[in-house]
Amino acid sequence: MAENFEQHSDISAADLARLTQEAQAEATPSTAKIIWSEFKADKPAMAALIIIVGFILFVMIGALFINTPKMMETNIMGYFNQPFTADFWLGADSAGRSVAKQLIVGSRNSIGIAIGLTVISSTFGICWGLISGYFNGYIDWGMQRIYDFMMMLPMTMMIIVLVTIIPHYNSVTLTFIFSIFYWEGTSRLIRSRTLAESEKDYVAASKASGTSHWKIIFREIMPNISSLIIVDCTLSFAENIGVETGLSYLGFGLPSQTPSLGTMIANANDPNNITQYWWTWLPAALEIIILCLSISYVGQVLRRAADSSQRQGSVN
Amino acid sequence: MSLIEIKDLKVHYPIRSGFWNRITDSVRAVDGVSFNIEAGETYGLVGESGSGKSTTGKSVVGLEKVTSGSIMYKGLDITQAENRRKLDYNHDVQMIFQDSLSSLNPRKRIEDIIAEPLRNFEHLSKDDEKLRVLQLLNIVGLDADALYKYPHQFSGGQRQRIGVARAVATNPKLIIADEPVSALDLSVQAQVLNFMKKIQREFGISYLFISHDLGVVRHMCNNIAIMNRGRLVEIGTRDDIYNHPLHIYTKRLLAAIPETDVNSREAHRASRLAVEQVYQDQQGKYYDENGAAYPLVQVTPTHAVALPQTIAQQLASQEGEVQA
Ligand SMILES: Nc1ncnc2c1ncn2[C@@H]1O[C@H](COP(=O)(O)OP(=O)(O)O)[C@@H](O)[C@H]1O
Ligand SMILES: [Mg+2]
Repeated sequence: MAENFEQHSDISAADLARLTQEAQAEATPSTAKIIWSEFKADKPAMAALIIIVGFILFVMIGALFINTPKMMETNIMGYFNQPFTADFWLGADSAGRSVAKQLIVGSRNSIGIAIGLTVISSTFGICWGLISGYFNGYIDWGMQRIYDFMMMLPMTMMIIVLVTIIPHYNSVTLTFIFSIFYWEGTSRLIRSRTLAESEKDYVAASKASGTSHWKIIFREIMPNISSLIIVDCTLSFAENIGVETGLSYLGFGLPSQTPSLGTMIANANDPNNITQYWWTWLPAALEIIILCLSISYVGQVLRRAADSSQRQGSVN
Repeated sequence: MSLIEIKDLKVHYPIRSGFWNRITDSVRAVDGVSFNIEAGETYGLVGESGSGKSTTGKSVVGLEKVTSGSIMYKGLDITQAENRRKLDYNHDVQMIFQDSLSSLNPRKRIEDIIAEPLRNFEHLSKDDEKLRVLQLLNIVGLDADALYKYPHQFSGGQRQRIGVARAVATNPKLIIADEPVSALDLSVQAQVLNFMKKIQREFGISYLFISHDLGVVRHMCNNIAIMNRGRLVEIGTRDDIYNHPLHIYTKRLLAAIPETDVNSREAHRASRLAVEQVYQDQQGKYYDENGAAYPLVQVTPTHAVALPQTIAQQLASQEGEVQA
């Protein structure tokens, strides 16, 4: 059969290297390159990206050098120490614990949970949505009933109950508990796009080319909704920072001996702290605002990059 | 023996409604279709939009869940997924789609698109595979620099060539071409049809050529089936269909072929209106009380029409007299 092709085209093995090179010269840039050039063109977005990446690296590495149990010990001498002093850069709280150190460890904990939660819940939600949308029959029906059931549960209350009944929990168990309740939004979004995408002829063509269902789902359809996935993940990440922070603020997140952005903001519950000892809660609050704004800015750029590739798609 | 034999094919889509979402009715997209395709020929399947042509074509490729009936290939019924696997069926039967843009994955480079069936069925080495893709591009008249581009960078005609290259990649025995040129300009249509014919000669491929336009089919097909509302209303050779049409629906499709000769345009319009008038008046005679076409009856060895036996004979003899 190969002879058949040899015979009817004037290309033979000898031309392979030359033609490949010619084709390489004409190759189109990949999506990653398009996104990168979009960042390079938008200076504030680049700044936001650097802030996020730099800050995350800083707290992840910085926290390694801090002895948390020692840091959390009560230190009478440091009682509400003023900020900007040699021992306490950002002051100390009512137990004389360094705010700066707590901020680093707390950010590590909160961001770690947010990243873990985003990775687990988005991966699960994306797979759920893709499979449910693609198979579109009894499988879809069953998966949607499970989805409906999960949506019916009162989420915050369930988390509070679970946190109360589990005796020893830490950041890892907390991440898993959150993950049970945070994949639904993503799965719904992905499913609706997958339904539309599965109808297109390129999926039929792949089936007719003998490609397996799993390959079609993850190698054909998923790249086509990748822009949606990227945007959804960045926005969920911003949202997920708030999830742990909010619950810790209410007192149902991480245990009180484990610092987090939420426990630090909870210092603002005391009216004295709000007015007199502002350094106990303001840095954490500012950090969350800056992080979430930066993330949503980055999300916007990703969305724009995705849109422009769609715009390219319609121009021939 | 024919290459492929389609017998009493039915594809019904359930319509669900009500509180329990139960099946209350069904769309009879294909409702009892039988025909055979011979090796090396181009078989035409013609009908208006919505008559069930695409559904028939997709059933033959194995993309559609068939309600009943059989499609025999190499002695096995390929409506069963298990038989398709056993035969590596899609190595031998491929499809060209109407909408060239939607049939090419926008996120894949041309090389990966054309190589897809090769990777699943032939397992060539990397270099052999690339060489085959380059040869295929060459055969459909595209340059090597298409290799690493994306589908949206090509024109409609070029994209359809890429679709053809993918379908030809495994050197199949049969290609289902579902309105391959309907979305293209007239000038590009002719180009694409010509190289489809060229490829057919060189590789000995059969086509099931689906179209809504008898004008396009004329230059491609030896045998033609006319489809209407999920059923075949007339089967015959090119001569039978174009020169001795019996069913009113066929006559209507023939009248709808656009007239390119400017001088006879007025006459053409008059005859088209006359045919339309007859169609409106005589519908009752050509369809049963449910509006469905009758079963096919043979009038000559090659020619069959969906009419009651007596009327068919009568029409056939009338036709004979006119000719004589
Ligand atoms: N997936 C589907 N579900 C329900 N009805 C369908 C589906 N696909 C096609 N149909 C219906 O079947 C009929 C035949 O469609 P099709 O085979 O696409 O016709 P054609 O290709 O001749 O235009 C149409 O009435 C169409 O609405
Ligand atoms: Mg169609």
